Amino acid sequence: MTALLSVENLHVEFATYGGIVKAVRGVSFDVEAGQTLAIVGESGSGKSVTMQAVMGLIPMPPGRITQGSAKLRGQDFLGRLEMDGRTICGDEIGMIFQDPMSSLNPTMRIGDQIAETLKVHRDYSPKEAWKRAIELLELVKIPEAPKRAAQYPFEFSGGMLQRVMIAMAVACKPAVLIADEPTTALDVTIQAQILDLLQDIQKETGMAIILITHDLAVVARMADKVAVMYAGQIVEAATVNELFYESAHPYTLGLKQAMPSAESDENHVLEPIPGSPPDLFSPPQGCAYCARCPWHMQVCQTDDPASFRLSDTHTSRCWLQHPRQPREVEGLHRAESQGVSKPVSDTADQEVSP
Amino acid sequence: MWAYTLKRVLQGIITVWFIATATFFGMHSVPGDPLSGERASTEAIRANLEARYGLDRPLGEQYVIFLGNMLRGDFGISYTQQNREVNDIIREHFPVSATLGILAVMIAALGGVLWGALTALYRNRLPDYIIMFLVILGISVPSFVFAALGQLGLVGLNSAAGRTLLPVAGWGTVSHMLLPALVLGLGTMAYMTRLMRSSMLEVMSADYIRTAKAKGLPMSRIFTHHQLRNAVLPVITVLGPAIAAITTGGFVVELVFAIPGLGRYFVQAVQQLDYTVIMGTTVFYGAFLVFMVILVDLVYSWVDPRVRLQ
Repeated sequence: MTALLSVENLHVEFATYGGIVKAVRGVSFDVEAGQTLAIVGESGSGKSVTMQAVMGLIPMPPGRITQGSAKLRGQDFLGRLEMDGRTICGDEIGMIFQDPMSSLNPTMRIGDQIAETLKVHRDYSPKEAWKRAIELLELVKIPEAPKRAAQYPFEFSGGMLQRVMIAMAVACKPAVLIADEPTTALDVTIQAQILDLLQDIQKETGMAIILITHDLAVVARMADKVAVMYAGQIVEAATVNELFYESAHPYTLGLKQAMPSAESDENHVLEPIPGSPPDLFSPPQGCAYCARCPWHMQVCQTDDPASFRLSDTHTSRCWLQHPRQPREVEGLHRAESQGVSKPVSDTADQEVSP
Repeated sequence: MWAYTLKRVLQGIITVWFIATATFFGMHSVPGDPLSGERASTEAIRANLEARYGLDRPLGEQYVIFLGNMLRGDFGISYTQQNREVNDIIREHFPVSATLGILAVMIAALGGVLWGALTALYRNRLPDYIIMFLVILGISVPSFVFAALGQLGLVGLNSAAGRTLLPVAGWGTVSHMLLPALVLGLGTMAYMTRLMRSSMLEVMSADYIRTAKAKGLPMSRIFTHHQLRNAVLPVITVLGPAIAAITTGGFVVELVFAIPGLGRYFVQAVQQLDYTVIMGTTVFYGAFLVFMVILVDLVYSWVDPRVRLQ
């Protein structure tokens, strides 16, 4: 069976004065209807660029998609953004952004901004589109929707604007909603409301959500599946339980140690990950995380790790998952019997020495 | 909205009064007066004339009389053009200047927005380079050069066509207005092009344009509905000062094209210290500009909802 949305081996580069930045280096994932996939990673890890490339939003030039495919129900639409006469953006796939304050046109009425999607993709008459816009505002629980629709963005609060963004993105009942850090610019109580709203709409319409975030708490609350990105690659992909309880990549372990938990007492010291991500002008030959990894081995410096499969839903790009690697790492989940852990790609067949 | 408009009108009246007062005292502090021309006159004649025009009275008293007359809309009779009321001069020649000026401003604004948007869309490509080169030319070359070149071109064009496509000079019909208005608006158009270009570039990389793209809107709709309106705001802001610059700066162009505008009287009056004409034209221009600036502000609040209600 084909996945609803699947991205395969996506490579994105940016040509800058300083050289070519390889921002996304072979990213693959898929998502099913009704499912929530969280893409986590630090700033600059390529999580936003990945989704913007899929949506055709990266400026070209300087951006360039060098390889890969993005398929909706099995059909590749990458770079074409149209399929069977339907536009991908705004119709099949909706997207909301980090800063709702600047993501809406300041000189256009809220209702018009929602209605224009329907006019363009669904040939609604202005009157029908306006009526539907008000219904959508009610769907995202904005009080006094008819009055609010005639107002401008500056008359709304940040949380309200993010609701408007959601209303806009789901106007055409998209199969997939991409939420690029939807709650980063909002305060905590509003964050919870927005996340609840997204889940409610998902239950109702069965759309898939791809949630880009750097907040592991949001991931734990929302996601079914998680992809952890580092330096333009997915280093670990797993179900949400596998990721938190059976972390299989040193970077994921590092992130967890840097996160406060409800159980930890006030003397608990959070451990940051030392160092900084590699320079993507010239990505390292071996593992990108090697320089920051406390357990790195010789092979990590010379060979990019293969993707190892721990279960049907769990993969990790780390040499520590190799059946013949010699180290014991506390807290790192490994396949239970050495034989189960098998490399996905063929580069992993070589010898691993500590 | 009405309270705002009323407030602006009251401010405008104070501004005009200030212009009138400053001009009045500035003008009287210049050495000489309308009677000290090249015509030799005896002391007795001079004293008679001063008494007749009220120039022998103290300056304060003259000022009060002037203000009283101004409130009644009477600017008196010209010193240098016998028996001609200042009001008549304005009534006869201002509509000519205003028509020319407003046409020039319209050409400048429309052209500036169009060329500016175009250069931004073609940023760092050939159309951008060509237009920006012409813009530098438009800003740095004075209008009389363009006026003369334009006339020369028209003469050549007319003789090549064997008939008068457009008149080279004079006034009367729309065909008389086109070239002078274009020449008059050229500098402002160049300036507005630059302004529009940078503003458009800023808007093009704005978050809400990314949103519009994510909504799957066609580029044409993004341009007309999302980019243009936001990018045009700074251009509207300078529209007020631009009208001021064009209507008062039209003197040279009017002269070259033999257009019977107010500019000539304005300049002549200053040269000859024709008190009444100076006061009349200055106060009238001042009031006109204040009115235009208020109008521009009201238009601005219509385009940008964020400045309404305040």
